[in-house]
Amino acid sequence: MKTKAYFMVKLETTGGDGHTDAVRELEAMPEVEAVEPVSGEYDLVVVAAVDAPIKIALLAKKIKVKDWVKNLQVLKLEPAAPNPFLDEVCSIPGGECINWCVQCGMCSASCPNVNKMDYSPRKIIALVRAGKRYDVLTSNSMWVCASCYLCTARCPKDVKITELMHTLERLALSHGLQNGGATAALYRAFVDSIKCNGRVHELGMMMKFFLKTNPLAALKILPVGLKLLSHGRMSIKPKKIKGTEQVKTMVKRAQALGGTK
Amino acid sequence: MKYYTYFPGCSSSEGTAVAYGLSTQAICSALGIELIELEDWNCCGSTPYGSTDELESVCIAARDLALAEKTGLDLVTPCSSCYTTLNRADSQLRQYPDLKSEVDDCLAAAGLEYKGSVRVRHLFEAIYNDIGLEYIESKVVNPLTGLRIAPYYGCQLVRPEPGFDNPNNPQSLDRLIVSLGAELVPFPLKDRCCGGSLIIPALDLALDLIHQLLESAASGGAQCIVTVCPLCQTNVDAYQDMVNRKFKTKYNLPILFFTQLIGLALGIEPRLLALDKNIISAERVLAPFTMAAEPKT
Repeated sequence: MKTKAYFMVKLETTGGDGHTDAVRELEAMPEVEAVEPVSGEYDLVVVAAVDAPIKIALLAKKIKVKDWVKNLQVLKLEPAAPNPFLDEVCSIPGGECINWCVQCGMCSASCPNVNKMDYSPRKIIALVRAGKRYDVLTSNSMWVCASCYLCTARCPKDVKITELMHTLERLALSHGLQNGGATAALYRAFVDSIKCNGRVHELGMMMKFFLKTNPLAALKILPVGLKLLSHGRMSIKPKKIKGTEQVKTMVKRAQALGGTK
Repeated sequence: MKYYTYFPGCSSSEGTAVAYGLSTQAICSALGIELIELEDWNCCGSTPYGSTDELESVCIAARDLALAEKTGLDLVTPCSSCYTTLNRADSQLRQYPDLKSEVDDCLAAAGLEYKGSVRVRHLFEAIYNDIGLEYIESKVVNPLTGLRIAPYYGCQLVRPEPGFDNPNNPQSLDRLIVSLGAELVPFPLKDRCCGGSLIIPALDLALDLIHQLLESAASGGAQCIVTVCPLCQTNVDAYQDMVNRKFKTKYNLPILFFTQLIGLALGIEPRLLALDKNIISAERVLAPFTMAAEPKT
């Protein structure tokens, strides 16, 4: 059973570098979830989560021995509410970094498509951590991510936000909470093309996409298609690689293993 | 002579960016590069596969890595998406042992094995670092003096991993352009997104982004944009008309691959550089530079 603990910490010195260093050191501890300044007798409140209540004393000792700690008191303990959605996201390779987010909003400020999203990337992370599975997985946010990685490159805590968006796309589909609309339909046509030929045949993929979604919408981009065709930039026939069977064998084996989502 | 295993990627081999593949072949021998195409390569999976199934997508990319490992050479691709996707698969395999054992299992079912020793590189990076600007400059017979260019890096050359260039303000393509004798224009959106594959399912969203790019490049006084990514080229070139119609603008900016630009400066015949495949014709802008010139040997 996970337990949440709140420690009150009084520092030897307040303000300046000593203060900053102490906060950094605390934040670097894997159990620590948040460090916030407080006014009054103590300087900081430290929120930590541990696997078992017995580990609270160990953690308290670990903090107390630091030379910048003047006084430490355990304010309260409470069982951490179970959050299966957060656990699920964390169990997927790359998903664990969601715990490092400090909600600074750099990702939302960097995202070129944030104005098209139901929830900004920062909000998505907050919602996942609050366990709001339905709200997250029915939103459109991940489907308008263009994988430009600006958020990932700029994140001060190294959260892989683009990866998280792709993870949420897979979860939304596997939980059956939405079909992902046109973006997911294109992705399916793309993947089918690989499974069939080993490579992507752009013309075939686009025809399949428009047939499955809205054939009339194809008229809108028909002029583009014709221009590409007349400039020799669209091959009519798909090219099948010799290793298509190898690709199929691997996909079959991956499906038998159940896959990491 | 430098040798590499070559991974053209679907679009540059015979798709929408076929001009990228052709111009790559055209400049490589002039630069002392020998590209040996990876035999029977498959699509890297790109973003769509990664958004559909994690294990399958890493397996698909791992097949290419396994094939490339046998050659013992660095794997070079001109496509930014292939570059990011293959690198991502490689780093996922190194970081997550559980995922690796499952992928190994799938590879073994197909009679393959990947030990993890392949270095995946972008063609631009290989040319920039291994050949070097000094060498390229020494081969220039047709300096592109006075040509005003907006350097367009796109997303996936400099991100997500901090690699060979500054992810916040990349400079390498700027330097290449200068070394070919051309002029740089201010282009603050040089590492911004063109919409990528969302151009098909979310056309309006992508047109907004392309419009911003064109506005930024044109207001800096660019005569053309130079890019390192096949998808960026296709989106900004083939959809420029649509942007003009939607935003009532009159942009007419040719989008060149960096390989085409190098080729021009080295005096390689425009026909070999597949300049005729550009939808926004670059003929007018490049007229002063397309006279036949013999490349230095």
